Amino acid sequence: MRAVRIATVVLVAVAAGGIGILRAIGQEETNGRTGAPPAATDPTVPSAPMDMGTGERLALVVGETFASRERAEAANAGIQGRLGHLQGFYVAPVAQFVGLAEHLGARDGDLVLVSAFRTEEGAREFRDFLAAMGVRGRITPRMENRGFVFVGLGQERAPDGSGPLVEPLPGAGA
Amino acid sequence: MARERRVRARAWSVLAAAALVALLGGTAVAGHWAANGWRDEHRGYPRRPYGYRGIVRTFGAPCNARTDYNSMYLRAADNGHYYRIRFHKKLGGKGTAFVPERGGRSTNLDNDVRGHIANGHLDRYLRSGIWGYLCRYIAGTTRYSTHAWGIAVDVSAVDEPNGQCHSTVNRHHAHIWKGHRWKWGRAWCDPMHFQYAAGY
Repeated sequence: MRAVRIATVVLVAVAAGGIGILRAIGQEETNGRTGAPPAATDPTVPSAPMDMGTGERLALVVGETFASRERAEAANAGIQGRLGHLQGFYVAPVAQFVGLAEHLGARDGDLVLVSAFRTEEGAREFRDFLAAMGVRGRITPRMENRGFVFVGLGQERAPDGSGPLVEPLPGAGA
Repeated sequence: MARERRVRARAWSVLAAAALVALLGGTAVAGHWAANGWRDEHRGYPRRPYGYRGIVRTFGAPCNARTDYNSMYLRAADNGHYYRIRFHKKLGGKGTAFVPERGGRSTNLDNDVRGHIANGHLDRYLRSGIWGYLCRYIAGTTRYSTHAWGIAVDVSAVDEPNGQCHSTVNRHHAHIWKGHRWKWGRAWCDPMHFQYAAGY
């Protein structure tokens, strides 16, 4: 009888440990099943600082303009679904960029879908990606950035090929 | 009664003959890439890394010059467009009977995965919305996506949107990717996505 009780306790302990291991494995797989990969919420993965690029002259890839933040965010969310888990546009005020209002001309509002780059190659790569995924984006001439909100700097290759470009190019302002 | 037996026997013979033709014909069609010299070579594969540190150890910094060293074209079956995807030097570019030598380190993506899909006549399940290397963050973060290392490919994005937890198209060739060490993003409801890394 005692032996049976001991055996039962051991069996239950082993089963509990096995379930715990399986749950740990499953955690990496599901990540809440939100469409975001595990790295999105893993605290051991480093995050790049938000590079504001204030005062720099940047090349922009722009999408549509909107009169309200709700509409801009909704449209951006719709676009995001087509881009997988890769960051798409950011919502920013048109006024953030000196000369953008004039460049855009007639528009639907004062908010714009945008992603900014320090290099023309970076802007082209993003525009081409959008096109491959059926999303329109056009490249603007360089414009000074007033730095109101983060518009995605850090997402292009450094000219020396060492990794991402995380600082202003010489002579580009700021 | 005897006439009935003869009719039944003839019907079974016809069915058996039809099955034999279908089997032999199907085998002949499906194997034509192999008949033309293609082989699933499995040469030079890097170990599939785990986590951020493993990825950096194996493939270097995100967006470095080797991350888009290789390229190839994939044709989308639905719109007929050719999409150019770029990927890491270690995941292809090694010369085979079907792929020219480009100084790459393995036969993984451009010869083995690509050839295996074609040899199995699964090209019709490569649909539009195809992309490889891109120096880009994971949406809503400032953490680099596996695409930034050139170790990720999105396929059939139009039919397999992010957030969809099942697959209608890529499920037909996902086993090929997995058989070549790629991880499928369906596990986190991103069924368009395949990556050569785990734990990230």
